[in-house]
Amino acid sequence: MHKQLPKEFYVLMQELQAVDFVLLELTLYLDTHPNDQEAIQQFNHFVQASKQLKQQVEQIYGPLQQYGNSFSGYPWNWSEGPWPWQI
Amino acid sequence: MQNYTPRKCYTPYVSPFDPCPPQKVKSYETPPHLYMGYQPYGLPQFSPQEALCAGTLWPALYNPYYSPYKPHQRQEEAE
Repeated sequence: MHKQLPKEFYVLMQELQAVDFVLLELTLYLDTHPNDQEAIQQFNHFVQASKQLKQQVEQIYGPLQQYGNSFSGYPWNWSEGPWPWQI
Repeated sequence: MQNYTPRKCYTPYVSPFDPCPPQKVKSYETPPHLYMGYQPYGLPQFSPQEALCAGTLWPALYNPYYSPYKPHQRQEEAE
C-alpha cells in the first residue's frame, strides 16, 4: 500500500527545500541586521512563496505538519505513507 | 604574513623515530567569514536552488573544501 507520488511532487519539494533554506539564511542574517529593510522584504516574499508551495505539496502528499499547522484530508491522512524517509 | 589566504600552513614536529616518511608541511582551511567581520549589507546572492547546494545564500561566504593533495580537482571545477 505504497502511495505513488507524481513527478511534479519532487520538483515542488525541491523548490520548497530551496525556499525554506533561503528563509533559514535570512533569519540568521536578520538576527544581526534587524534594520535591513530590503532583506525583510525579501524574507516576507519568500514566506509567501513557502506557504504557497507547502499548500501545493500538501495537496499531493498530505499534511506536512501536525497539531493544527496543516489541514487534513478525509479520511484522516496524517498517518498515511510514504513517510519522509520513504519519499 | 599569510593572514588573508584561505589556506594556512604549519610545520609539525618530526620525530627522529618516525617510521613513516614525514609530512614536513601541513595546511588547513580558514573560512571566509573570519575575514569579513560584520557582514556588509546587500551582498550579491545565489539563487535559492544554488544556495541549497552551496550551503549558503551569499557567494562571498561560499567555501567549498578542496583537498590540498589533489590540486587538479580545483581546476576541473573552474572549467
